[in-house]
Amino acid sequence: MRPTLSRLGRTLAVGVSGLLLLSACSSGGDSTAKTAGSGKPVSGGTLTAAVDTEPVSWDIHASTQDVTAEISRGVFDSLVSQDSDGKFHPWLATKWEVSEDFKSYTFHLRDDVTFTDGAKFDASVVKANFDHIVAKETKSLYAANLLGPYTGTDVIDPRTVKVNFSKAFAPFLQAASTTYLGFYSPEALKAGSGKLAAGGPADVGSGPFVFSAYTKGQSATLTRNPDYAWAPETATHTGAAYLDKVVVRFLPTASVRAGALTSGQVQVAKAIPPQNVASVKAAPGLNLISRANPGGNYNLWLNGSIAPLDDVRVRKAIQRGIDVEQDVKTVTFGQYPRAWSPISPTTPDYDKSLEGSWPYDPKLSAQLLDEAGWTGRDAQGYRTKAGKRLTVDWPQLSIQATREGRDVLGQAVQADLKKVGIEVKRPNLDIGTYNTQVYGGKANIIDLSWPRFEPDVLWLFFNSASAPAKGGLNATFIADPSFDKWTDQGRATLDEKTRADVYPKVQQRGIDLAVVVPLYTQVSLVGQSDKVKGLTFNPSNWLTYYDAWLAKK
Amino acid sequence: MTASATVLAGGIARRLGSAVAVLLGAATLAFLTLQLIPGDPVSVLLGPSNAGSPEVRAEIAREYGFDRPVADQYLHYLGRLLQGDLGQSYQLQRPVWSLMTDQLWPTVQLALSALVLAVVLAVVSAVATAGRRPAFRAVASVWELISASTPSYWVGIVLLTVFSFRFHVFPVAGAEDFASLVLPAVTLALPLTGVLAQVLREGLEAALEQPFVVTARSRGVGRTAVRLRHALRHCAVPLLTLTGWLTGSLIGGAVLVETVFGRPGIGSLVLQAVSAKDMPVVIGVVLLSAFVFVVISTVVELLYPVIDPRLRSA
Repeated sequence: MRPTLSRLGRTLAVGVSGLLLLSACSSGGDSTAKTAGSGKPVSGGTLTAAVDTEPVSWDIHASTQDVTAEISRGVFDSLVSQDSDGKFHPWLATKWEVSEDFKSYTFHLRDDVTFTDGAKFDASVVKANFDHIVAKETKSLYAANLLGPYTGTDVIDPRTVKVNFSKAFAPFLQAASTTYLGFYSPEALKAGSGKLAAGGPADVGSGPFVFSAYTKGQSATLTRNPDYAWAPETATHTGAAYLDKVVVRFLPTASVRAGALTSGQVQVAKAIPPQNVASVKAAPGLNLISRANPGGNYNLWLNGSIAPLDDVRVRKAIQRGIDVEQDVKTVTFGQYPRAWSPISPTTPDYDKSLEGSWPYDPKLSAQLLDEAGWTGRDAQGYRTKAGKRLTVDWPQLSIQATREGRDVLGQAVQADLKKVGIEVKRPNLDIGTYNTQVYGGKANIIDLSWPRFEPDVLWLFFNSASAPAKGGLNATFIADPSFDKWTDQGRATLDEKTRADVYPKVQQRGIDLAVVVPLYTQVSLVGQSDKVKGLTFNPSNWLTYYDAWLAKK
Repeated sequence: MTASATVLAGGIARRLGSAVAVLLGAATLAFLTLQLIPGDPVSVLLGPSNAGSPEVRAEIAREYGFDRPVADQYLHYLGRLLQGDLGQSYQLQRPVWSLMTDQLWPTVQLALSALVLAVVLAVVSAVATAGRRPAFRAVASVWELISASTPSYWVGIVLLTVFSFRFHVFPVAGAEDFASLVLPAVTLALPLTGVLAQVLREGLEAALEQPFVVTARSRGVGRTAVRLRHALRHCAVPLLTLTGWLTGSLIGGAVLVETVFGRPGIGSLVLQAVSAKDMPVVIGVVLLSAFVFVVISTVVELLYPVIDPRLRSA
């Protein structure tokens, strides 16, 4: 036992000094990344990566999980590919035409693409896959939403396919670039959703890797597809992948993941906890990549439909009464930037002008609450009006609350708002009650984040058609004509000018109406060995292994 | 002969009856839990961040018969269980039964090796220290107390830090070979060892006070031989009972150990199911645990007369 304890003592000492080091230099917005390969790429080798979550379902057409899409990206190709500026590039489709009304998309397909089981990729495969996504038996929980108002696919000839929608649907190209709308071989589709969800060799695609093995609770193995010759234009090379094999291991315990990386048992580790960032950076032969996720930030949504938050002055008092900067910095060890807009800076049409526009101002909060008539004080120091205490409830779900230290951040918010006289109650609810309360519009505050590389997430958050009663995510619970107009306009066009006009307006109005209090932007923290070169991220911030290679030595 | 056969048959029938009762109880409890979770049962089954289309929801409601009276649902549910139908996981889109059978072997491997290791270590520790010098005994029981009360999660991480991250003796995780089984088995075995050794030492010391020890010693049998051949047999029954009882707790321990070490198995399956609120899988594992518990306690009971001849006449 003694060596164990002294070893532990040393580990603790290193950990503590790491923390000190981190707090000493936490203000630096360190997001430098050595992602680009240096030197000439070499083929061969096995890259082992550790991730924190394991896919529940491997069926890309059914799953809602990022991790499924990320790992499966190596196995499945899409019609188009999107770059980090939001522009679309050819992939399985060489070119495409979009109808004036955005109700149909015609794709011209490559004719040299084969699946790894030998089947040929053609127009009928596109139709079969899209029809599979919307079929009832697939029980799709996400891809079917990405297909929007899909009505069907016409096979015009083997190399031409036309996808139709009942309404204008501009976000389709973005959707078509994701793994969720990737293509299974016709034989794989016949195997049925259960087989596809189970993972492994049944999941046959046309990508640079073959899904060769899967052990639940342990690892997934991808093996190089030597015949791959149809890389998207967004990749840095063509032809087969450099790596022989990619092994993705599922290590949910953060310290184990970090230990596996520092001891060289894995070359890449995702989701490095903020408190371990300093020690990974300090370790010889390792470096850290930190990248802000696109899409919806981690936001508080204020329910404007019921008292007391139906008064914009009270909502504003909450927005300005939380010391977001300080709270976020403390809880995330300075690794996550505080947010100013409901969407992150890495999302297209992000409104940079919001930055610094609504700083912490408890005096203003007090003034607004006075104006709103909450002038009394009770024995505990909370404000009252007509003898009633100013109380808001913000329910939490225990399994989600602890993620990223969100429970601690919640306590900081509670403490801030207490200072201005607002009581925040945080009842811990079970899933059934939580869903009923929160999505039934009975809670005052809801917290959620929703990553996606597309400003159309603003439609999901603000459009009245996205009301939770209809399965949407509009947690403001208000129906605002301006929000509806702008988010509908953005969704109905790919015109960059229009989008750059309406989406900033939505973000601005969300802050002005104080229906949202953005807290922080989630950041991917990935540790990697110096030997790993060319590991890239796609616009959704998912690791892509196709261009990666291992330096010898 | 016929009389004892009747007694035996009666015993078996009684045991079968109680086994069925335990399983029925577990199944009923699982059913009630599902009923008592507040909110719409379809939402509960689907889990968080899953609205589910109206078609999917209708399909679940039909399968579980949520529109029918509770008594009706209960009978329907029992009927499905009788046919071995544990239902379908909505998260994994696969039958619960095949999910569990796929994950069973790695957990059995882990549990068995931990069990064997724990019993061997406990016997060695207890035989070596029972009734010997107080200092010996004190050291042993402090060590046992520590190992019985230290969270296995923590032990696992410490073992990994030392033997995997620092000295590279064992791999961090996985279940490919024997080497990857060592650390998880030790982690799972330690708390068991502590409890077993403590109980065993008490038993040994009580047995060593008995007159037969003096008789044996006077015949020239060595101290250790007396412990192994005579005294140990005396405390084998409580040891067996306790071991059987602790085996039931191994599934719980496996949840943590499999997570820390990134091993496949029932533990990681149930953890994933609980965090995804995948109720059909959770219920399936509850029933499996109840079944394992029943089997083990039956085996333990059947072994009593084998170990202690005095029980045979009863």
